[in-house]
Amino acid sequence: METELPWGPIFARMLVQFLPVWIALIVTFTLSIVYRRRLGLYGKLFDSPVGMIGFGLVMFWVFTAIFADLIITHDPLAQLSGLKNAVPGSALKDTRGDTLYPYYLLGGDSLARDVFSRMVMGARRVLSIAPAATLFAFMVGITLGLPAGYLGGKLDTILSFIANLVLAFPVILLFYLLVTPEIRVTGIPIALAAVLFLFPIIFLTILWNSRYFTNPPQRNLYVGATLVIGLWAYSGLAFNADPSGEILSAISGRNVRDVFSMDPNLLNVFVSVVFVNAPTVFRIVRGIVMDLKARDYVAAGQTRGEGPWYIMLWEILPNARGPLIVDFCLRIGYTTILLGTLGFFGLGVSPESPDWGSTINSGRKLLTLFPHPAVVPALALMSLVLGLNLLADGLREESLKD
Amino acid sequence: MTDWDPSKPILEIDNLSISFFTRLREIPAVMDFSCKVMAGESMGLVGESGCGKSTVALAVMRDLGKNGRIVAGSIKFKGRDLTHMGDEELRHIRGSEIAMIYQEPMASLNPAMKIGAQLAEVPMIHRGMAKTEAWQLARQIVADVRLPDPDRILNAYPHQLSGGQQQRIVIAMALMSKPALLILDEPTTALDVTVEAGIVDLVKDLGEKYGTSMLFISHNLGLILDVCDRLCVMYSGEAVETGNVVEVFDKMRHPYTQALFRSIPLPGADKNARPLVSIPGNFPLPHERPPGCNFGPRCDYFQSGRCDAVEVPMYDVPDDDRHATRCLKWQEIDWDAPMKAKVTKPKTPIGRVVLKMDDLQKYYSISGGAFGGGTKKVVKANESLSFEAREGETLAIVGESGCGKSTFAKVLMGMETATSGSIMLFDENVQSTPIQKRNTDTVSSVQMVFQNPFDTLNPSMNVGRQIIRALEIFKQGASDQERSDRMLQLLDLVKLPRAFAERMPRQLSGGQKQRVGIARAFAGGAKVVVADEPVSALDVSVQAAVTDLLMDIQRENKTTLLFISHDLSIVRYLSDRVMVMYLGHVVEMGTTDQVFQPPYHPYTEALLSAVPVADTKVIRKRIVLEGDIPSAVNPPPGCPFQTRCRWKSQVLPAGLCDREMPPVRVLEGKHQIKCHLPDDVLAQMEPVIKIAAE
Repeated sequence: METELPWGPIFARMLVQFLPVWIALIVTFTLSIVYRRRLGLYGKLFDSPVGMIGFGLVMFWVFTAIFADLIITHDPLAQLSGLKNAVPGSALKDTRGDTLYPYYLLGGDSLARDVFSRMVMGARRVLSIAPAATLFAFMVGITLGLPAGYLGGKLDTILSFIANLVLAFPVILLFYLLVTPEIRVTGIPIALAAVLFLFPIIFLTILWNSRYFTNPPQRNLYVGATLVIGLWAYSGLAFNADPSGEILSAISGRNVRDVFSMDPNLLNVFVSVVFVNAPTVFRIVRGIVMDLKARDYVAAGQTRGEGPWYIMLWEILPNARGPLIVDFCLRIGYTTILLGTLGFFGLGVSPESPDWGSTINSGRKLLTLFPHPAVVPALALMSLVLGLNLLADGLREESLKD
Repeated sequence: MTDWDPSKPILEIDNLSISFFTRLREIPAVMDFSCKVMAGESMGLVGESGCGKSTVALAVMRDLGKNGRIVAGSIKFKGRDLTHMGDEELRHIRGSEIAMIYQEPMASLNPAMKIGAQLAEVPMIHRGMAKTEAWQLARQIVADVRLPDPDRILNAYPHQLSGGQQQRIVIAMALMSKPALLILDEPTTALDVTVEAGIVDLVKDLGEKYGTSMLFISHNLGLILDVCDRLCVMYSGEAVETGNVVEVFDKMRHPYTQALFRSIPLPGADKNARPLVSIPGNFPLPHERPPGCNFGPRCDYFQSGRCDAVEVPMYDVPDDDRHATRCLKWQEIDWDAPMKAKVTKPKTPIGRVVLKMDDLQKYYSISGGAFGGGTKKVVKANESLSFEAREGETLAIVGESGCGKSTFAKVLMGMETATSGSIMLFDENVQSTPIQKRNTDTVSSVQMVFQNPFDTLNPSMNVGRQIIRALEIFKQGASDQERSDRMLQLLDLVKLPRAFAERMPRQLSGGQKQRVGIARAFAGGAKVVVADEPVSALDVSVQAAVTDLLMDIQRENKTTLLFISHDLSIVRYLSDRVMVMYLGHVVEMGTTDQVFQPPYHPYTEALLSAVPVADTKVIRKRIVLEGDIPSAVNPPPGCPFQTRCRWKSQVLPAGLCDREMPPVRVLEGKHQIKCHLPDDVLAQMEPVIKIAAE
């Protein structure tokens, strides 16, 4: 078992490893294409080759993240002797009685860990942060952008000025500041998290209240549910003070993990990403609202005495969804790159984390001798972002067509 | 070019068929269309939206876009077939021999180039003219389109000109290369009526001066009568009738043309005694056209087994000037038979005063500088507005853009508060109560119907939900079930099928959307409804149906209707009283008869003469106003209308109009006029519209 596998068998074995992903992709595409005429904009995506390719790439990584445990060939943190900087296709010297997969498909890194498995697990890391962070940035941007565009005046001037301030600050420098231990001691990241994480709750509360205030029982149900779940998650995510773990532990007598909690490192990264993305979203939303508020259906809402928040959230926002969805896809791409950059600088995530940015960084030192530990995650990152951009292009193209 | 014989047609379209190809299917847009335009002739293409008239124009320009294709037939321009021409050859013809003028002037001009440069570009590209020479020509043409101060205009950018001036520049640009054929696609639809009248006159004169042939596309039959020699009526992708304008207007030989004329308010129509007849049913979708005659399902003379059996060819009408019709039964129908007498409807009794405005003023202050500094300017949007409206009455508010009619509506609705004066709404002063502070009853009793049907409904909410929302806000109904029932009743009220509750607005036609808008306005049992040009964006056949609907609801609910419009034909048809506004002032107010008969305010006179009337028996005096409406930021001193008034010289002492605002004078029968003209001059005014004796 000394020989290395040639590239052909390596790819064949990788194809086999990704089997759950292929199955999931085939099912998704078949169902979507069959029912595409009933699926609105999502269905139209399957009329555009560009959009389909983009969607395929994105879903490939999404399914990879979901089925990562089935796909990986080794523990992403396990170090096996003799495989330090091993070239792709290297065979294991000791398979521990055939319990281990016999090859490092894409070689080993400088700490003799399996590059393939780390890349697969990295997808899970990247895809669990980027969309969520983008979603939070959208919540903040929308909640502030709507009134700025709709009400205008002083509020608009102040909010736009703050947005410009944030945008004027160099992003990387801002990150360095936010994630350095000295700043963390001051509690600024926690305070930022406390402010930023409040927005989704505010957003949903206003959303339900403006629509259902005419029917108090229904309103109370929706707003109540939002507040209970929202504040529970809020306490856990922002302050790491989710009471559920302790309560459950006390009841069951065993040590139960909190439902909502976030690693402090991750929290920092998350907050920074939301913080730098929100102003851009704010400006997009504000611009669209200024355009849409001159429409007659907005005037119709005003003449029947609707409150400003109903008009903003239920009359204007749904009609701004086209450009916002496109921007959402693009922004996940930027955020992914941003997270990669952060990881590359070693910011925010733990050193052994398999996320693509840190992996590229650790592989960089021996790049001329052993390119594979850095190239593999770089290609992965590139294909995901490319997929997101193509998906956004496809969506934009199709949303313009009738 | 030299081998073309001027006695042959300039443009000859033969059995043209055009289709658009979409993902799902081929959509035939134009079928078997033929027409001939001779040199110096102007041909009108008339029809409702979606009938394919613009598609024909684009096909002549060979500009059908990616998915449009000419599937059959030929378009011969000066004997050369355009359908098989290469791109290079087409480029030589477009802009130099065939020029096109579009509806939106601002969209046709490059905002970053000076007018002069844009105009000079045309001969420089097509004829290789030198720059100085080209500018010389541009200057001459700008003078030809009757723009004042050509040198200043040539050095201006498009945004520095008004809409009417921009359209004149677009026409000038089209004329720069002395084209043999000019295509005008609704060239005046985006303009005010008095400006439109000027453009129409200009186009007619230029056609005569340059000998240009014209293809004039419009939905307005009156305009076609004014401009064209011949016309072609289109319906659902086909030409249904073609011929000399006067012959078609007086001796129409197609049921659609007849129905079209019966659905437009001509002088003499009356909402109670002689209501308009709308065309039943809806325009067929291009892929759902009926077999045989396309108009069959909506036709009064339909005979099943015959009209729906075979495709109908064009029949020549003998003894007429190239008059042809696409109707199988044209020889059998008695075309002179009077309209089937429709039930005459009782007049709505006019009740107590529900709305009283007294000396209402609305000023806006705008800051001059970019950073809020500079001198504050005041825009006087409404100046001393006083009137009352009674229960069951229709009060028309007439005026062109910028006259303050929308501001007035906003103040009434409570979206703005009045600067001074009072509004009494059912014994309650509301002039300084913004809508948030009004109680639900007040809000639901004053509602509005909006102008643009494509904008009036939220595109991402279904129809039923939008009406239910209005019911929720107006606290109608105790439960969701009750509100849902009430919503279905409202759909019945506006004569829409109940299944429409589930539809999204984009699945509805313009007229249907407008009906939903009306249903929504009446959700809380509105007592006063402000209708802001509710039918001006609709096709003529639909206009009649929507106006009728409004009248019916008014009769039933004794609603007070404030009908804002610039279309005097429809105002004469449906209103009881008329208020004419100009630059924030009420210049004339009285009953419909008083306003439409002399003595007029000079502005009303011009407005009346500017509205095209689609009746060959009506003789109109042409009064074309000079210049544009002054800006409300900087109104002229004295009388607001003095800059454009043709009677100004008759006011004594001279210069009074420049100095003093005229007082409101009450003539007999509470007819109010704001003018300095002496009584004897007013008494000598002649009617603008005369119906010639038959």
